Amino acid sequence: MHQVRLDCGPFTVGISSSDENLLATLEYFYSHSRCQDGSSFLDYMIRIDRPRGLRRWLRPQALFSIDGMRPFEPHPAENAFPLYEWGLNWCIATSAHRYLMLHAGTVAFGDRALIMPGTPGSGKSTLTAALHLRGARLLSDEFGLVRPEVGDLLPMPRGIPLKNASIEAILEFDRAAPLGPTYPRTRKGRVRHLRPSTESQRRQHEPARPHWLVFPKYQTGADEILKPMDKSEAFRQLALNCFNYRLLGETSFRAVAQLIREMDCYTFTFSDLERAAPLLAALSQAPIERETDRA
Amino acid sequence: MNLLNRLLWNPAVVRQWDDEDWNRFLPLVRNARLLGRCLALFEQHELLDCVPSRLLDQLRGALAQTRYVQVQALRELRQVASILARDDIPLMALKGVAYLVASLPPSGWRNLSDIDLLVRERDIERAEQALKNAGWVPSGEFDAYDQHYYRDWMHEVPPMVHLQRKIEVDLHHNLAPPVSRIRIDAALLWDDSFELADASGRSVRILGPADMLLHNAVHLFMNDELRGGLRDVVDFRDLFEHFSQQAPGFEPQLLVRAQALGCGRALYYAVTTARRLAGLAPSSGFLAQVEHHAPAWPIARFMAWLIEQTLAPQQLGLMRSAFAGQLLFVRSHWVRMPMGLLIRHLLHKGFRKKVRSESADDLPG
Repeated sequence: MHQVRLDCGPFTVGISSSDENLLATLEYFYSHSRCQDGSSFLDYMIRIDRPRGLRRWLRPQALFSIDGMRPFEPHPAENAFPLYEWGLNWCIATSAHRYLMLHAGTVAFGDRALIMPGTPGSGKSTLTAALHLRGARLLSDEFGLVRPEVGDLLPMPRGIPLKNASIEAILEFDRAAPLGPTYPRTRKGRVRHLRPSTESQRRQHEPARPHWLVFPKYQTGADEILKPMDKSEAFRQLALNCFNYRLLGETSFRAVAQLIREMDCYTFTFSDLERAAPLLAALSQAPIERETDRA
Repeated sequence: MNLLNRLLWNPAVVRQWDDEDWNRFLPLVRNARLLGRCLALFEQHELLDCVPSRLLDQLRGALAQTRYVQVQALRELRQVASILARDDIPLMALKGVAYLVASLPPSGWRNLSDIDLLVRERDIERAEQALKNAGWVPSGEFDAYDQHYYRDWMHEVPPMVHLQRKIEVDLHHNLAPPVSRIRIDAALLWDDSFELADASGRSVRILGPADMLLHNAVHLFMNDELRGGLRDVVDFRDLFEHFSQQAPGFEPQLLVRAQALGCGRALYYAVTTARRLAGLAPSSGFLAQVEHHAPAWPIARFMAWLIEQTLAPQQLGLMRSAFAGQLLFVRSHWVRMPMGLLIRHLLHKGFRKKVRSESADDLPG
């Protein structure tokens, strides 16, 4: 049994496993997120191991456990990494109510953040990946963590899970995109993760100020159209895209209102990443630096 | 005794804790669902400065979630009460939702996932039907055997949930199964109950103080394999202290009532466990009286060991606690079913363990 400790934005996660493949994959994705301080506080202590008995050898499985509980059915052992990522998302979504949790892809240009909420299929992960590959700092592809009393956005850079056709779309967009192993059979279909850049990992404790809110919508063959959006409609849509809007009650109402006041709001239809990414990046009107340290 | 028990005994111990202690503490407190309780302890004892700020974030996050569920539970109770009022069916709130209605100490932090309700046995079918007519449905798939199990052997109907909401409603007609070794005369419970008004002014009853504690004890030590866990033990301690402060004669009253309802043994387990694992400090006279309800000493010692392995394991996921859990599981069935029934039930279920599984659809990623 081996334990690694990874920084994950405002959280630190401990992972215990004897699965060499999983440990190697974690190292590939998060070598710049290793927790430096050996004795730091751990928010989540996750174990991923093989069930006892026959299943250890016969079509081996991976079991996710936290706090002495096993919230999920076992997965095939080869999917240990997607299970870890998905399980950690579940842990955060069900417990981190200290934050307002937006269901959104978030990137930053400097310290100004672009928030892209989206339902599955809207293309937010693909768009987030594309912007990140063109140099935007990755905050998160799934969680916009907002400190309600401050109104800023906390990064949580993790592997971006690209699903099915998105994998090819991203490879076409950038041949050198640093993708991890392919997981052909997960619950969400075929999945491959994009590794967050070294810079994004190193700067994961630097908050960003929400500046643009863009609701993306992927539409086959559509032209790229970025349209300003009515703020009251933006409020409604953003509230719908929070994991814990109702739970936080007045706190979330105030936080979302403040976010909307501070941000320029748009809807965005797109079909082509080559056109879409620069168009969104141009919002920042700042030259975008391409990272040189990407492997 | 683990770190959590030591904290419940004496909150000031945290002054000496280092990061690794806190790291061992967090899984224990999450597993026991006592995050909100511990936050309140830290506040009461002015210990917030000693607690890592990230842990405070976790505790406050959990409390926010609890407050939300509490609002939903009270709303669900209001809905049920309004339906049953139409048919003039008296309704009693039990456990978590009762603490909420009566603003008893656990309401400050206690989470809940269902609401437990009591109606008279003669009303239970009408009550179930009235709820079904108003949009409640069975909360799971219950086959013919499960139906039979609940309706004929247990003290409740299969749990229900309203189609548009998430809180489960457990409708009981007694505090212990009619086939169990503990037979409680439900009429006595109604006689000693109190009437309160819920948030919309509709009448809801709650158990009298002694009955409320005895229900906690019976539920934890006789009905289920300690499923409520350390949280229920802490509820017992908090309620015991609250009622003792309110009425000086509460301890003797509790003993008399336990005798009358035939719950002496459950009271013995609850008091001794709350004392050992959660720092309950009743009077020595009361303790001596409670000891009269103890089983033969080898059994008492063995049960104390089983309870400690389950409720206060040094680490989560130890083989020892799993083994103790299995024994308690068998015991809980042994207590509540006569031998013949027990064999039939266990053969049918084949010792199948319930596996909790989350639906993948409403989760991120």
